[in-house]
Amino acid sequence: MIRLRGLSKRYEGGAVALDGVDLDVGAGEFITLIGPSGAGKSTLLRCINGLVLPTAGEITVDGQSVTGASPAVLRLVRAKVGFIFQHFNLLKRLSVLDNVRVGTLSRIGGWSTMIARFPEAETERARRALRRVGLSGLEDRRADTLSGGQQQRVGIARALVQEPRVLLADEPMSSLDPALSRSLMDLLRHINLEDRLTVITSLHVLDLAVGYGGRIIGLRAGRIVHDGPPAAMTSSVARMIFGEISDA
Amino acid sequence: MTSAGRWAGGLAMVAALVWSSWSTDVSLRRLIEGAPFMLDFIRRMLPPDPSVLGQALHGALQTVQIALVGTSAAAVLAVPLALAAARNTAPRWLYYWTRSALNAFRAIDTLVYALFFVAAVGLGPFPGVLAIIVYTATVLAKLFSEAIEAMDPGPVEAVQSVGATRIQVLRWGVLPQLGPEFVSFTLYRFETNIRAAAVLGFVGGGESASTFRHTCGY
Repeated sequence: MIRLRGLSKRYEGGAVALDGVDLDVGAGEFITLIGPSGAGKSTLLRCINGLVLPTAGEITVDGQSVTGASPAVLRLVRAKVGFIFQHFNLLKRLSVLDNVRVGTLSRIGGWSTMIARFPEAETERARRALRRVGLSGLEDRRADTLSGGQQQRVGIARALVQEPRVLLADEPMSSLDPALSRSLMDLLRHINLEDRLTVITSLHVLDLAVGYGGRIIGLRAGRIVHDGPPAAMTSSVARMIFGEISDA
Repeated sequence: MTSAGRWAGGLAMVAALVWSSWSTDVSLRRLIEGAPFMLDFIRRMLPPDPSVLGQALHGALQTVQIALVGTSAAAVLAVPLALAAARNTAPRWLYYWTRSALNAFRAIDTLVYALFFVAAVGLGPFPGVLAIIVYTATVLAKLFSEAIEAMDPGPVEAVQSVGATRIQVLRWGVLPQLGPEFVSFTLYRFETNIRAAAVLGFVGGGESASTFRHTCGY
């Protein structure tokens, strides 16, 4: 479903975020991407849907090349890839329903979205997505009146309504408390199993990663240093990924 | 800063103030001597003469109309200008040129534009409207572009990431964030433009100004 070859990213100013990453992700996999902050997790996820342009390497999503894609092709790829953000990135002044309906924009032509006329079927899809994430009844609330956990659920609903093949989540829990984090992780896992969606979630803490099965990938200084099932996640592997104080 | 530097800075400030006061004929004596004339001016306004009320109201209405048409047109023009003058929405060369042009044009007062447009379209309220459009467009473009630069990029990125087109990103990622701010800037300029429109009448022949001129005996 996702294929990365020799993916590298060097930011202006010289910081290297990714350094020759090769990765193959099959359809329906559940992957947690772990590593210390600054390891390149965000950059990796953002490269996959073209929010960040890599300096070198190849990205293919569902058979479609992302690197060097025209804007129109890039939009098609993005429509297939739902993205969940660390800081939710909702439009604070808009209603919950409108925030979710933003996820349908790629299917709706030009002018009707300009005057906020969404087809009834898409509105119904948005309502269904909100039911699924447990937010029925909050459709007309302003997004910024919700709690953090609820806002992230709106973010997930916005991604679901795209009817994507892939779900990318960039540290979706790091602004939330542990109990909420678990329930959101459960939700993502549930979506992964029920819809056969490929899910990649980045996390900067280890304990959330191990409890959910799938495949754990460790990133350190822009390179993949570990790739295996949760059972392979020993304390020495964790030390290798997160580093010891001595090599800081 | 060293204390010697502070002293030098303070002295330079005082020197600039003294020099400027002298150059602009500031004189407390003349102000005191002029007091009776000010009182006379106010005394002659009282009681107000109701016979000019109709004309004055008509003029005031026209003043508001000039400001309304001018501000609205300017707000519409300011949006594309602002997009071209914001660092995060325009390419570097366009940003640079638009911003420089806006700075240059903003240095020209509405009154000067009015004289310019009187030469083009003749007397009446219309040159005032044009003057307000041009000046207000440059001011609003500056304010709008700063709001665009201060906007949260997160939601914009989110709208991009669902596969939206450029224009959809503007409509759903940018407009919801900036719309309310644009409206409040525009209303504020509308208020200042009402005042400007009254003064503009002096060059353009707007009604408020001519009423004022006749009744005050200019």
